[in-house]
Parts: sequence; C-alpha cells; structure tokens
Amino acid sequence: MLTTLSKTARGLAFAAAAVVAGASGAAFAQAKVAVITPYMAQPGTQAYVEAFQAVAKEKGWDVNVVDTAGDVAAVISRIEDVVNQGVDAIVINVDPTQVAAGLQTAKDANIPVVGMDAGSDPLLATNVTSDGVAMAETTAGFVVDRIGGEGNVVMFVFDAFPPVQVRGAKADEIFAANAGITVLDRITPDVSDGGIADSRAKMDAVLAANPEPGSIKAVWAAWDQPALGALQAIEAAGRQGEGIVITGIDANPQAREEVAKGGNFEATVAQDFAGIGAAAAEAVAGLLAGTAPADAVTFVPTKLVTKENAAQ
Amino acid sequence: MSFLSLENVAKAYAGVPALRRVALTIEAGEIHALMGENGAGKSTLIKILAGVVAPDTADIRIDGKPTTIGSPHEAHRLGFRFIHQEFNVVPAISVAENIFMGRRYPLRAGVLVDWRALNATAGDALEKLGITHINPRQRMARLSPGDQMLVRLSSAFLSEPDAPARLYVMDEPTAALTRDESERLFRVLRQIRADGGSVLYVSHRLDEVMALCDRATVMRDGATVDTGRMADITHDDLVALMIGRKAGDAYPAAATTPTSGTALEVRDLAAGRLRSTSFSLRRGEILGIAGLSGSGQRELVRALFGDLPMRSGTVTLDGKPYRPFSPADAWKAGVAYVPRERRSEGLMLTRPIFENITLAQLRRQSLGGSFLTPRAEQRFATTLAADVRLRSTGPRQLAGQLSGGNQQKVVFAKALSGNPKLLLLDEPTRGVDVGAKFDIYTIIRDMTQKGMAVILVSSDLPELIGMCDRIAVMRDGAIAEIVPAKGLGEDDLLNRCYGRVAA
Amino acid sequence: MTIATLLRRYGTLIGFALILGFFWFNLPDTFMTARNWLNITQQLSMLMVVAAGMTIVMVMGDFDLSVGSAASLSGIVAGVLFAAGYPIWMTVGVALLGGLVGGAINGVLVSFIGILPFVATLAMLTILSGAAFVLSGGKTISGASIPADFSNFARGGIPLGDIGGVAVMLPNLTIVALVVVFAVWVLLEQTTFGRRLYAIGGNIEAAYLSGVAVRRLKLIAFALTGLSAAAAGLMYASRVASANPTQGSGLMLNAIAAVFLGMTMSEQGVPRILATVIGVLILGVLDNGLTQLSVDSYIRQVLVGAIILLAVAASSFSKRLRR
Repeated sequence: MLTTLSKTARGLAFAAAAVVAGASGAAFAQAKVAVITPYMAQPGTQAYVEAFQAVAKEKGWDVNVVDTAGDVAAVISRIEDVVNQGVDAIVINVDPTQVAAGLQTAKDANIPVVGMDAGSDPLLATNVTSDGVAMAETTAGFVVDRIGGEGNVVMFVFDAFPPVQVRGAKADEIFAANAGITVLDRITPDVSDGGIADSRAKMDAVLAANPEPGSIKAVWAAWDQPALGALQAIEAAGRQGEGIVITGIDANPQAREEVAKGGNFEATVAQDFAGIGAAAAEAVAGLLAGTAPADAVTFVPTKLVTKENAAQ
Repeated sequence: MSFLSLENVAKAYAGVPALRRVALTIEAGEIHALMGENGAGKSTLIKILAGVVAPDTADIRIDGKPTTIGSPHEAHRLGFRFIHQEFNVVPAISVAENIFMGRRYPLRAGVLVDWRALNATAGDALEKLGITHINPRQRMARLSPGDQMLVRLSSAFLSEPDAPARLYVMDEPTAALTRDESERLFRVLRQIRADGGSVLYVSHRLDEVMALCDRATVMRDGATVDTGRMADITHDDLVALMIGRKAGDAYPAAATTPTSGTALEVRDLAAGRLRSTSFSLRRGEILGIAGLSGSGQRELVRALFGDLPMRSGTVTLDGKPYRPFSPADAWKAGVAYVPRERRSEGLMLTRPIFENITLAQLRRQSLGGSFLTPRAEQRFATTLAADVRLRSTGPRQLAGQLSGGNQQKVVFAKALSGNPKLLLLDEPTRGVDVGAKFDIYTIIRDMTQKGMAVILVSSDLPELIGMCDRIAVMRDGAIAEIVPAKGLGEDDLLNRCYGRVAA
Repeated sequence: MTIATLLRRYGTLIGFALILGFFWFNLPDTFMTARNWLNITQQLSMLMVVAAGMTIVMVMGDFDLSVGSAASLSGIVAGVLFAAGYPIWMTVGVALLGGLVGGAINGVLVSFIGILPFVATLAMLTILSGAAFVLSGGKTISGASIPADFSNFARGGIPLGDIGGVAVMLPNLTIVALVVVFAVWVLLEQTTFGRRLYAIGGNIEAAYLSGVAVRRLKLIAFALTGLSAAAAGLMYASRVASANPTQGSGLMLNAIAAVFLGMTMSEQGVPRILATVIGVLILGVLDNGLTQLSVDSYIRQVLVGAIILLAVAASSFSKRLRR
C-alpha cells in the first residue's frame, strides 16, 4: 500500500511538473499574468480570453487562466493565491465589487488588476469594455434615421440590470430629443425564460391596441431577445408589410440571422469580444512597462450590424 | 489416509488469537460434529475452510496431498459446500435461480441461459432432499420461511460434474426447520455418508448431534481439545469438554420464595394484536411467557416497554400508574428490556462496550446530564461488566469483537445499568452457548434476589420451566392461563401452548 | 501494529503530509508561509463551517444535500433585508434563524415523516434554491445595498504583527470557522447529545430501544446543519459583498467530500470533526498549491476527485487486508 501511495504521489508530481512546464516554457524572466474568471463557460468570455492569450503569446508572457466555474468567492481565493505566488498582473472578468476583498489584497501587494468587461472600480487599473451607452446611441440613432424622426416607437428595456439600464436611458434621451417621436410604450419583459416569449406576448398586446397600419413605426430593444420576440409578434399578426423597424443590441447568432434576412429586424450592434481581450492585453502590457492606463474605463469600439454585414 | 486433515491451524485478528492450535481430520464417509461454545473458534475455522479467511499458519491435506484454500472459488473446486447460518435468499427471483446463486448458469449456444436445464437441475437438487412440493420456477417470496431454508439447503446438493461435492459443511442447518424437515435433512446426510461423502456438522443442539454424527471434535478457546467417537462419549462429558469444567445443573437453583409485594399490575391491557390481558407480578418473581410464535408475546413486551401504544387498560408499576409512550419513558420508570435480536436491536457493534452499557443511563452517567465523563463512565461500565461476568479486553473493546454470549452479556449489563424494577427478556439465550447461558441465568437469579421482577419470553420450554416461578401461556393474542412452573412437564406445557390441556 | 493497520488509520494523514511536502518542495518561497496559511484558512472558512455542520448529520449515517442552497438562500435573505434597510444584527439573526428552520424542516421530513434523507434534502435543495431565485428575482444583490460594515467583516481580522515587513492578521472568517469547529467538537465529542448521535449512527434501532429520543435528536441535528449552512452563506455574502441565488451551490459536494476524506481516517469509518478538518484542509491546500503552480483549473478538479477515490480505496483496501 505504501508503495502505491508514494507511486501515486510521484505520478502527481510528474503530472503537475509537466503542466507547469507546459504553461511556463523555458524562459524564467517572463512576466506572469493570471486571468481569473468564474464565467469561462460563456461564449463571450471564451472569446476575450482567446484574444488575450494570442496577444500574450506574442509578448511571451506566462499566462495562467483560472476558471472557478461560477464560484465568485473562489475568484477572491485564487486572486489571493496568485498574489502570494507573486504574479506581475491579474486580469479579472467578474463584477469587481464582489471580489473587492481580493482586489484589495492585490493592491496591497502592488499588483495591478485589469478588468475585462468587469465593471468600473477604483481598485482596477482600468476596465476594458464595450460602451453600452454608445451602442444604445447607435441603434436609437438608426431608428430615428429610418423613420425620419416621426412616429410611435415601442421600447423594450430592463432597468434592474445596470449595464442594460444605461442603454435604455440613452435611448430615452435620443427619442426625447426628437419632437416627432412618441414613445408608445416602455416595456420591461419578464426575462425568466430568456425574454423572447414574454416580449412577444407584450408586443401582441401592443399590436392589438394599435391596429392601424403605421400606428407603430419602430421597436427599439435594449438587447436582442425582446427584439426577436417583437418580430415574432409582428409576423404572427401579419403586419410585417407595414415597415416597422426593429433594432436590438448584442448581435447574438439568432439576431444576426434575422437581420441578414432583410426583414423588419433591421439592425443590432456587435460587441468586439476579441477586441476587448486584445485591448485588455495591451493595457496589461502598458502596466508592465510602467504606464498606467489613461482612464478608469477603456472603451473598445462596437459595430452596427445590418443586412449588408450581418453574414460576416 | 484421511480425506481431509488440518494441522497447526492458527489465525490472529489484529494480534488477538482466534485460533491457536487446531487439528481436524475428516474421513470419507463420515458425519463429523464440530462442537464448542460461541467464541471457541468454530466460525473462524469454517471461514478458513471456505477460503474466506486466510490462516496465519495451516497444514491442509486432501487425500494426503498438501493443499491451500486461497479463495471461496478454490474451496468450491475442491468439492466443499457450505450451508451458513446467515445464508440469504433473494425473494424476487425464482427458487431455481436462488439455488444457482453464485454458480454458473447452464447456457445454450454459449450465451443464452438454458432455463429448462436450470430448472431441471435445481429440481434434482430439491429432490435429493426429498422435496417435491416446491416448484423450481416459483418465486422465492411465495415460500414459507421453512421452505426457503430447504431451498437454501438444496443449493448445496446441486450436482456439478466439474467439481463434485466431497464435503458438506453445515452450520446450524436446522435452526429454522421443523422436526419433519430436519429429519428429511438427516436422511440426506446419512445417504451422503453411505455414498462416501463427508459432512462437517455444527450445532448447539446436542441431542441432534449425538444422534446424527459418527465422531466429534470439540473446540475451546481457539484450540481443538479432543476428538472422539460419538458412541464413546456421554452428553455430560461433551458439555464438560466444551465449557472446560464439569457440567452442573443447567439452571441455577431458585432462591427462597419470591419476596412479597406487587411489582407490576396489568389490568385489561390491549395493544396491537394483544387482546385484553391481566396479570400481576410480585417483586423478585420470574413470570415466563410461553406460547406458539405470534401469540402476542412480542406485543405484550413491546407494549410494556412503550414501543407499542397501549390501546386500553391500566398498568401499575410499584404502586404508581405506568403508561410509557416510548422506550425512553420505560427506562425512566425503571423498566429494562433485552430485545430478541441482539445484533440488530441490542447492540451498536461498531461502538465500544462501555458506550453500549451506559447508553440507557447517559443522563445519570454524565455531568449535569449534558457533558460526558468518559472515565467515570468506563468505571461504571467495568463494574457492570464484572457483575455479568463479561469476558473482554476492557471497556473500550468494540462490542462487535465479542462472541455471541459475551455480546448478550453486554446487553444485560445495559439492562441492569439503572437497577430496574422490572426486566423484560425476549428470548435472552437464543444463539448463546452453554457456558454463557448459565452465566445469564445466574445474573437473572441474582437480580430477582434483589427484588427485581422479571418477565421472560422464551420458546425454550425447559428454560421456562427451569427458571420461572409461574408461566403464562399465551394463545391467540391473550394470556389463556397462568400455571406454576414447579413440577410442570415439558409435554404438558407444549400441550397447553397448543390449547390441549392435559387432564 | 501491522502496515495495514497503520495505513488504515494514518493513510490519509500520510497522503496529506505528502501533498504538503510536494507543494513545499515546489513552492519553497510562498507555500509554507504564515501568510499563505492564513490565506488558506480564510479561503476554506465557509467550506469548513458547512462541513462541520455536515459532520453532525453524517455521524447519524444521514446526510444533507440542501446545505448549498441553504447557504445561497441565507445570503439572499440577508441581501434583501439589507436592501430594505434593516440593521446588520437583525438581518444576520433572521438569516441564521431561517437556516435553523430550514434544517429543522429537513429533520421533520426525515425523522417524523420518514422520508429518506437523500430524497427529503434533495427536494429541500430545489425548494430553497427556488426560494432564493424568487426572493432575489434571479439577480445578484450587490453594491450600495450591502452595508460596508457587513462586507468589511470578511476583510478584517485580528492583527498579528508584521512578518517580513508585511502586516499579517488572523482573518475574522478564520476565527468564525475555528469557533464553529470548536463548538461542533464539544457537541459531538464531549456531550451526551453527541454520544447519542453516534449511537444512532451505530445502530438506530438499538439506540431507540435504549431510550434515545431518535426523532428529536435527528431534528435537532438537521437544524444545526441548516444553521451552519446559513452561517456559511452569510460568510460568503460578506466575502463577496453581494448575494447571488446560486453562490453556495459548490459547497455541498465539497463538504460531503471533506467528511468522506475524514471518515477514511477512522477505523470504523465514522465521521469525526477533527478528521473532517483534515479533509477540508486537503481540498483547500490542493486548490491553493495547484493555483500557485499554475496548474490548469480543470486538471485540478480531476486531481481532487482522484485523491478522494485514492483515499477511500486505500482505506477499504487496507480493511480487506485484515481478513
């Protein structure tokens, strides 16, 4: 039995050593960077991290990606561990207020932390993200242009979630600035089933209340799911020929598909996930070179998706 | 040359010897009895034969050839067949499948089970025991317990041409059989002997052993003490060899007449299937409860112990009304209980002896009823252990490491831990060897002399007659009559149990 | 004492020592430091508290699958009450009381109604988790609604002075875990209550017939497990300064794993609180050390599972050697 145990321990040693060697390569003056996230299972996060690693590879960093599988407290623990290990920089992809305990530890040890679409926080050197306000501005502006600044608009918003709330606020502002535009309804759908079904039901009601063709000119949604629900309602009511303009935000695959068809769903906005990852890497590079990022937030440009470019 | 010979067999568990120097020879064509008290080492020896336990040392020869038994599979190949005391059946499958349990099923085309052959072969095995009333295709669950036992037995008689049976090892095979069924088994064993096969027979039933076996080997304290022809030995000699001293009376003599004063008064008690029952019990008296199994004995005891709700009636204990709603209430009122199933109801086998003994009195054996005082507890347990003549390595030994008789003494020690006024005993000597039995009877006597009242439920009629002052005969859920034990004949008592009162 | 006995009793401890030795050797500067160990104890404090509570029911041979969602719910209850402006003491009190009541419901289901613990606590897992989602609306409660005093608790501690020029403190969360472990140790090892729980675990029928109030004790034991889960949920909420309806879900399996690892250290396979502590430390040290060695987080999970299997296999194998 003793031999079995020690054999296993040796096996463990080899396995661990191999993994360490694989991750660190041969050089020992490399910068060590830890990327810690609880959300690795989400497609966006994967895109950030891959783009980050691509840049890191060019720069020859030793990157340790840690996924805590949804456990936020474990993010704090792992930050503490890598601080103790003495990494040169840390990148997180989680609400910074929830891991403030870990960020404080890093700060005490003078290790910079960069947020990758994490949220702004004084404990972060910078947060690299898409500009939600800019995205709302883009689609609301698109709506205003398409309907010529005249007519009734239905809005789908979700004010309980801060990143979405700012989108709605920006759209409110733009529609208010156009005297010809009336916001017919400002709907908060029930998102417990993803948001499509309830948005469709709400839109059904709006359509029933406004049966005249042309009584609804556009639907502006703060993200894609309500836009898809509204589209279903309009098609089910047989009113797709009225030229109701629908816009969403996020450019999820289903939304892209609808936009590409050239129907009522005319536009959505794509975040540049890879761009965020790369920009985060550049921010880390700057910090390693001794230059702090200029702003607490580093915006990465977004891209309007319409029929013309939806297939890309 | 003997068929099987074992020499110098030794086995120790964690340094504690279970077998020290064992020698056993079995001839072809004999029924050989293996005798000894519980804890003498019989089970360990059988497990070694079965390949379940590896001996520390052993010279085993079969037909003079040195052999080892490394696994149950090898034992089977050598032609050894075992009927264990605790041999389980699977109720959901057929009789034939139970008989074939652990054997290779006959196959067709190498893959499909040949059910026809399976059922036929199983039927043959049953027939060997003269059993024709059990259909091999029947589901096991539909058989009576006795028939189930017969099915278990018959699995040992399955013919297997590639590993013919040469030795049948039977450990208490008749424990659950009726007289007729036992006789049928004995006929088969005699036939095996006539055919040149061998049987190693283990039983506590001395009369049975003496009638059936040719020779006997007696074990005591992990060693074989003697082997001899059954014809040359008397019943008493055999007992003396087993317990290592001269056999005296089976039951310690009763002291003077029971002390006066009523300990227990039961009026019109009904509970479960127990119908209106009344009796009273004096201090220091032992009341036996006799009856066919399922006549309400268990209900009576369980009701008095608070485990079965009393439907009606009144009970008075030492002049005070007594109506327990749980065993906890019963212990508090000074009623103690030795349950029927020692291992499943009486003991925590994986806990130390002292924890078993003090469990019912933990409130008193602790600081303020809350904090443990292990040293005082162990002293208390040691005193009680001495009172019941417990043989152990100390209060911290695990209860599961004791022999059956000593385990039962632990249960008694627990029952006596609170100086109860009333002691309820349900089959207290079942599966207990001769020596420990006598110790237990002595404990009961000692306690009655201190004024404790005892209710003794037993299916062992000599025990009831030998120990009790009066015997209540239960029939059909109620006490039919209460008779003085003195001078009562066994046949008379049995007839009363059946409801045929002798003139 | 034979090698088999030695291994049966100390195999898991030897394994633990080997793991420590391995990390010490490979991380000579950072692993065996006071700072790192204080970190580890803080990181493990929540798991420790849940595992301590789990030990209580596992002593009786039962277990509680609902501790993770009970922890989540207690965090959410606290978050909702904080958002509504209730003071910290009241909020903490209500959340703990909720855990006690939830655990007591488990106890009633198991002991009075007679539902198997697996089924009863699995159902409670779902119910409590659902309740956490209902109360929170599925959202994370964070930011200004969580009082700073509450979240600062998890960041504070008792200063221990300077080590190598860095201020070191004994974290509050570690202190809570130590207090809970001590309380459970007293309860299980020093009181008649604990002895009776072990009796129930040894043979429930014999315990009942010996006058042990089996049902009442089971109820209390489950309630205490629920209480510990709620406490862990609050510790978690304080550490992340927020409450999320799923945040405790990882605790349940780890707690059971820790108790199982501990049980391999007992000859009779009985859970003991101090053995559970070792089990928790094994899990935590692996996380800490492997992260510092930059081992891939998924490989870490595989290793943790493998070590549990190894420990249990070694212990049952050495038991078989004894035959």
